[in-house]
Amino acid sequence: MGSALPPDGFTLLGGRIPYIEGPLKVTGRAEYTDDLQRPGMLVGRLLRSPWAHARIRSIDVSAARSLPGVYAVLTGERYPTPFGVLPITHDETAIAVGKVRYIGDILAAVAAQDEPTAERAIALIRVEVEPLAEHTDPKVGVTPVTDPIHDRGLNGSNVQKEVAQHFGDVDAAFARAAQTVRVRGSFAGVTHAFTEPMATIAEATPDGRLTVWSATQVPHYLHRALSEVLGLPMHRIRVIKPEVGGGFGGKSDPLPHEIACAALALETGRPVKVLFDREDVFLTNHGRHPTQNDLRVAADADGRLLAYDLSAVIDGGAWSSFGTVTTYYNGVLAMGPYRVPNFRYHGRRVYTNRPPSGAMRAHGGTNVRYTVEVALDELAEKVGIDPFELRRRNALPPHSTTVNQFRITSTSFLACLDAVRAASGWDAAFRQLPYGEGIGLGCGFYISGSNSPIHFTPKMPQSTVHLKVDMDGGIAVHSMQADIGQGSNTLLAAIVAEVVGVALERVHVIRVDSDVSPIDLGSYSSRVTFMMGNAARRAAEDLRTRLVRGASELLGYPPEQIRVGRERFEVAHRPDVSVTYLEALHRAMERTGALTAAGAYSSPPMGGSFKGARAGTAPAYSFAAYVARVRVDAETGEYRVGKMWAAFDCGRPLNRLAVEGQIEGSIHMGLGQLMGETLNYRGARLMNPSLLDYKIPMPAQMPEVECLLVGEDDPEGPFGAKEAGEGPLVATLPAVANALYDAVGVRFTDLPITPEKVVKGIELRQREGRPWKGE
Amino acid sequence: MHLDPFELHRPSSLEEALRLATAHAGGFDYLAGGTDLLPNYKMHLNLRPHLIALDAVAELRGRGLERLGAMERLADLERDTELARAYPGFADALAEVATPLVRASGTLGGNLLVETRCFFFNQSHFWRESLGYCLKAEGDRCHVVPQKERCYATFSGDLAPVLMALDAEAELAGPGGRRRVPLGAIYDAAGDGIRRHRLGPGEIVVAVHLPAAARARASAYLKLRVRPSFDFPELGAAAAAELDGGRVRSLAVAVGGLETYPRRFDELTAPLVGEHLSDDRLRAFSEAVMRAVRPVHNTFLAPDYRRKMTRVYVRRAVEKVRERSGAAA
Repeated sequence: MGSALPPDGFTLLGGRIPYIEGPLKVTGRAEYTDDLQRPGMLVGRLLRSPWAHARIRSIDVSAARSLPGVYAVLTGERYPTPFGVLPITHDETAIAVGKVRYIGDILAAVAAQDEPTAERAIALIRVEVEPLAEHTDPKVGVTPVTDPIHDRGLNGSNVQKEVAQHFGDVDAAFARAAQTVRVRGSFAGVTHAFTEPMATIAEATPDGRLTVWSATQVPHYLHRALSEVLGLPMHRIRVIKPEVGGGFGGKSDPLPHEIACAALALETGRPVKVLFDREDVFLTNHGRHPTQNDLRVAADADGRLLAYDLSAVIDGGAWSSFGTVTTYYNGVLAMGPYRVPNFRYHGRRVYTNRPPSGAMRAHGGTNVRYTVEVALDELAEKVGIDPFELRRRNALPPHSTTVNQFRITSTSFLACLDAVRAASGWDAAFRQLPYGEGIGLGCGFYISGSNSPIHFTPKMPQSTVHLKVDMDGGIAVHSMQADIGQGSNTLLAAIVAEVVGVALERVHVIRVDSDVSPIDLGSYSSRVTFMMGNAARRAAEDLRTRLVRGASELLGYPPEQIRVGRERFEVAHRPDVSVTYLEALHRAMERTGALTAAGAYSSPPMGGSFKGARAGTAPAYSFAAYVARVRVDAETGEYRVGKMWAAFDCGRPLNRLAVEGQIEGSIHMGLGQLMGETLNYRGARLMNPSLLDYKIPMPAQMPEVECLLVGEDDPEGPFGAKEAGEGPLVATLPAVANALYDAVGVRFTDLPITPEKVVKGIELRQREGRPWKGE
Repeated sequence: MHLDPFELHRPSSLEEALRLATAHAGGFDYLAGGTDLLPNYKMHLNLRPHLIALDAVAELRGRGLERLGAMERLADLERDTELARAYPGFADALAEVATPLVRASGTLGGNLLVETRCFFFNQSHFWRESLGYCLKAEGDRCHVVPQKERCYATFSGDLAPVLMALDAEAELAGPGGRRRVPLGAIYDAAGDGIRRHRLGPGEIVVAVHLPAAARARASAYLKLRVRPSFDFPELGAAAAAELDGGRVRSLAVAVGGLETYPRRFDELTAPLVGEHLSDDRLRAFSEAVMRAVRPVHNTFLAPDYRRKMTRVYVRRAVEKVRERSGAAA
């Protein structure tokens, strides 16, 4: 627990601020999409493909259409315009056109009076297909194949994106290296498993407008996709984001069912709701990419890094989604928190006939971070130095530039290392615990907001915040930033309250509604605190200026002598001379009525000029150093993480409660991918599309977590803050893996690390005659 | 996902329940806690138009050291300290079933007769249709062991192995009368695996009876699963023994979660009676149990790992019994 009062004269920021919507959520009063009702609302249902890859010969919807209670049946050709979250890879359609590409692909959409009728209609649709070759191995898909999944694959292969980058001279670095290590990391696909299944309601009204309520992280990108596919100008579409029960990246693409739902609404003239069950969510996926990484590391005799040589094959599933970004990230996010003078990367993302992969918390950074940190643990052992010492020797200094021209500003990485080393009792434990017990270090680095907005034209700020205050003194805050449970509404309100000097309860964050909310690009790439935070601060300062002017007129002192108190404005050198907030407000309103104010944020230009140089550039980066303690049952391979010490540099934490929640949640999610979560495929078929068979860790598996927030103020972050939403995840996995190595002497490079792999690893080591820690 | 409509009957006596069963023969399921049946119904697995709820039948309730009513809720059994003292292995198993929420509804009889499970069976209608269904529901072939004769779905109850090791008997009532059989006899070891039990049409498990000898035994149950709650067993190992200064007076070992039915290994334990239960003997015995079981690839963990762990879990379960008996190795 932190201290009760925030530091540095703040009243809110830096303290522990409970979520403003908390009381509504815990009493069941918060409104999620499925809670909303519209008069005459129909049930929308989707027919999904039972084929992994097939050409559609015919779809006969006549029987479904003539079923009483059915209002519309749509197939792909009605709205065939392709879309996708990235403008350069529009390869999805709302409903399949010509082909289906995975088991679960949408073949048709039905709107009916109720659920049973909709399901009967779905069952009446007759589809004839010509099966095509199924592609499920991305390593095969890099070569030309029969029946490629998309015609945009490179040279008749299934390669969606290929990245080749080389900075410095990697071969020369390896030629002079005293030490090299190689790690081949294999990562099964995992998915977000957020609490709230996707849900969308759409309603077309006789005034020619379309309103869409949807569980989305990116209302603005949904708004664009709806406009493009449905052929309606954006101003005729209104996108509303109700409460969202988690996203983790899984709701950061505009999704086919959202557009299909809107299409059904246009077709029927009635409101239509599409609500997913858990299997729908699994089939929609967009989770973390199954990945094969091959990393070679070169270092000098003292463990100073000379080069990384990395190649990757990434399983994209059926669509592009964020895949072009993923392919870059899986390389360039290896570029911190260490100085790597030479770097070569060859990454290929390959389409397969499986549910699409996409962005998932610590997108593109998790698997490569694991590969790097396990390699560095191995390198430290080879060099014969402590893993902490190895990291210290290689840490990127503040205000430096990486070889691929990332601009590093603030970093408290060394402070993270020192704090976690001391707190975890590392020096008395590393390699000194009995066989079966272990301690391990893993570090991290992540972008604090993507410097590149996804759409470059027209050029506009990445975040805008509007404020409106009327005579009642309540401050309405408008912004399209998407709170999906991470606490951004609370932060938005707190920043405004802090700057204007009013009680938090005066600030009302208005539900995202494209008719009134100025654009913020949404909740992805850990951008919200940094970008929205800066925009909110500027808007609040703008408002404060007007209020100070009102106070100045009442008090007879010039504005520069007025300072903000608590719900008051005081003369700086005479605090006894003051007016209340409301008095100042009412004076300021005399000429204009309700006050409005605006603030915006655009990130500064940065990055190199080579192809792909923008990928991974961010206005700031977070840093992390985690230590895990594990205990392994060497006979069964079962293991338990007892404690995690999490040192994290998010600059100045603005809401400690939220930051600690993000760290704890990240550790839980990271442990899931490490210990047992896996999208288990047999061929193209997902075997475990349920929360019983998809093994999210239980509360009983959570370790004790000790958060150590050691960042210093970032020069550009709002009040010095950086991100804390994704960076806290990446260090989790390698910390545990390296602790497992310390416990049983086995390097695990195939995730998830199930008990059977632990047993096999120990048996292999024993067969090779390598005893460990007096076993 | 919604439940298709069904007609719910709620008899207040055993006779009435059996009458309803006869009236709706072939078209009903008994409904106990519903924690297994209703999720399966949502997946449209072997739906029946009638459900006969048993929660109002007083004769199916009641718990004591000798008799446990089949409709006793797992949470109530778990809270019964007298039971836990008498049958520590039963208490082990109760605490390992699913989650506290499921145990609040789930019943003893329901757990004994829990539907067998398989990756190819416990799936939505869409999923199963896309594969052409399976032998256990709507189809004519098995996808685990490709053939058309036998289903390999896995028995997934936690309570049967330990109750079998304690020589429990099942009290049954059916339209044809009452009978009492060893608990293991309700499972169909020789069948096609599609039906999970050998109860007659309409027959109900009324209660489980535990003989006096069971109270002279120490017992233990260990469960292998991926997560320490929620998950069905990937392997459950139960042991019960009466030891006389380390010498075996009686010993029974049963496993679940490995095959279509829970299984007791009397032919392997019999030679140990009268012997000192040494570590070496125990290792050899556990090895023999491992060799006897044939898990297939239809649960989360791979079958060879589950087999290997059978050796470890059986050994540890017996060791725990030995510990609880206060006997030395």
